[in-house]
Amino acid sequence: MSQSSAHLELAHVSKRYGSLLAVDDLCLAVPRGAVYGLLGPNGAGKTTTIRMVMRITLPDAGSITLNGAFLDDRLRERIGYLPEERGLYRKMKVLDHLAFLGEVRGLPRGQARASAKAWLERLGLEEKASRAVEELSKGMQQKVQFAGAVIHAPELVILDEPFTGLDPIATRQLKDEIAAMAAKGVTVVFSTHVLPQAEELCDVLCLVNRGRAILHGSLAEVRARFAQPALRVETPASEAELRVIAGVAAVRRRERDYLVEMATGVTAPQVIRALAEHLPLLAVERHEATLEEIFLYAVENDHVSTR
Amino acid sequence: MFRLDKVRTVMRREYLSRVRTRAFWISTLLVPAAMIAFAVLPSLIMSRQGGTFTVALLTPDEALAAEVKTELARRSEGPADAGLMNIRVEWIAPALDSERQRAELRSRVLAKELTGVLVLPAGVLDGEPVEYLSTNVTAFRLIGRLDGAVERAVLRARLRLSAVPEERLDQLTRTVKLEPVRVTQEAGESREAVGSSLILSYVLTFLIYVTVMIYGFYVMRGVLEEKSSRIVEVIVANLSPTELMAGKIVGVGAVGLTQYLIWAVLAMNLAAPGLFSLGLAEGASRFLSPTLMVFFVLFFVFGYFLFATLYAAVGAAFNSEEEAQQMQTVLSMFLTIPFALMFVILNDPDAPLSVVLSLVPFFSPMLFFLRMTVAFPPTWQIVLCFALMSLSLLAMVRVSAAIYRVGILMYGKKPTLKEIARWVGSS
Repeated sequence: MSQSSAHLELAHVSKRYGSLLAVDDLCLAVPRGAVYGLLGPNGAGKTTTIRMVMRITLPDAGSITLNGAFLDDRLRERIGYLPEERGLYRKMKVLDHLAFLGEVRGLPRGQARASAKAWLERLGLEEKASRAVEELSKGMQQKVQFAGAVIHAPELVILDEPFTGLDPIATRQLKDEIAAMAAKGVTVVFSTHVLPQAEELCDVLCLVNRGRAILHGSLAEVRARFAQPALRVETPASEAELRVIAGVAAVRRRERDYLVEMATGVTAPQVIRALAEHLPLLAVERHEATLEEIFLYAVENDHVSTR
Repeated sequence: MFRLDKVRTVMRREYLSRVRTRAFWISTLLVPAAMIAFAVLPSLIMSRQGGTFTVALLTPDEALAAEVKTELARRSEGPADAGLMNIRVEWIAPALDSERQRAELRSRVLAKELTGVLVLPAGVLDGEPVEYLSTNVTAFRLIGRLDGAVERAVLRARLRLSAVPEERLDQLTRTVKLEPVRVTQEAGESREAVGSSLILSYVLTFLIYVTVMIYGFYVMRGVLEEKSSRIVEVIVANLSPTELMAGKIVGVGAVGLTQYLIWAVLAMNLAAPGLFSLGLAEGASRFLSPTLMVFFVLFFVFGYFLFATLYAAVGAAFNSEEEAQQMQTVLSMFLTIPFALMFVILNDPDAPLSVVLSLVPFFSPMLFFLRMTVAFPPTWQIVLCFALMSLSLLAMVRVSAAIYRVGILMYGKKPTLKEIARWVGSS
């Protein structure tokens, strides 16, 4: 992706903690206005990457730019951030708390207070304004946390595992908020390891594993590029027997069947014919890969390729 | 980059969220109340321990008994007594069977018929000791009164024996009063109530000790709370940890200064009349010079910053108050040691040991200040003291900020001292 269209860009970013290379020469480009999914297993380096964008930890190497400009403390105020580990001052009054967060995020005092009031109204919490945070239910506190992250009307919002700990209703509300922000042209970056959510929400995604981006692009691109045409095959034959059939590129054993990836240049009927010729088949059909499979496949191959 | 507006935002939150609590006002009002109670109650209770006491005087010398009686009467004339302590004396001549008589007197004491029995032996004029039999031998005020009376009575009797004319006795037995006069650079000589200045030295040093400890602890608890409530990452997304730490320490310190201000106002309006009535105020007004008060605030500020940065680092390094307890104990020891050394300093404030101890940066807020209250140290020592404290403060801020930066985002495991040292090294 070219520099001009990227809203947030990471170029060759690395971060090492002792002997652990948490982020390894990572390159990312988040297009303006996109809902961007940062995906990957636990420990892949998602949170470290996000913390580097927020300048909570600084990268050992590489550069991070916002609108093409080096991201410094001042530019950082255009970003809204909801960390995975999040909380509130329990004894503080709700309105005071939101206004404080507004000020911390760079709003002038009066504006921070006005903004806080507006958000409480929007969340239906205006009569809780002078209550202590600890008197709110957990769901209400989560709403306040979200409001605190975006109170300064940022042009880009980063949400680290935003859905963990949310009940289905809160999850729905947060998805609506994300959609509403996207509709207003705000760029949204969120990390998750729950893939169906990513599939539902994001336009562009990046799969991170062991500190590196192993998949990057729009959902359709990734599907087309990565999910090789595959067949779902039920057979009593072994994995090894399947692998030697002409036109088969890779075989993955699942609980009750196999996923058989086809080599480039061959068609499905050709492979089905070859399979039927050599093996007893119970069932065969075309397979549409889910993001979860692409993800698992990519992570597995990543291990194989670097070992 | 250190942005003052961000520090101010944090500071305001820290300050207001504390000053607006009921706990702040309760503790602010409770401390002086407790102090006044400690200072006033014992003497108040003591001065109320009046009443009528009947003391038997067992002596063969009737003239001496009469003399003791007169002395006691003379002593109860003073204005301080205001008739609160009324001692009645009953003269008893020794019986032949002295053992039996003594047993009888003992039972009268036990029956509360007599408060006590003064036994003046025949050889008392030659230095034989006087006995006082009573159920209560720690009644200091009564015993002191009896002691003085017997002493003077015996002295007068001895003088009479040496054929000193009666009219000269009063003159010859007049007591001598020792008056301490402090020699100082500025004033030359200053006469003050030593007792009251000692109490004030103690009280002021104690105040520094207590407030530094309490506010340092508040800082630590504040940092721990930010960690355990997981608010800290929400905030350091827009503030540097150093800005957050600075705002917190200054904000909490400002709460401490506010408390001092309230106490000062209270002291001027309420406590001063109380001190006057106790006769402590004559020295106090001279003692509490503006210079000393300026240094008091300076030493609190330095002491507070020195310890608060350390407390902040301890809070950041650990996950709970229980985990932090060990390090917290070490810190409070640095505060308690000088407190324990107070009397060494008071006894000889200019001895080399006192000077060296008071210049140890972590001890200075208490010990150097204490020296100032007794004998103003030379200027070069004051300069050296503040230079040393400033240098240590700079070093502490660096170390603590390094620990703080790493520690606040570490959850879960309790770090070892080695790991914490590595955090400092890596910055």
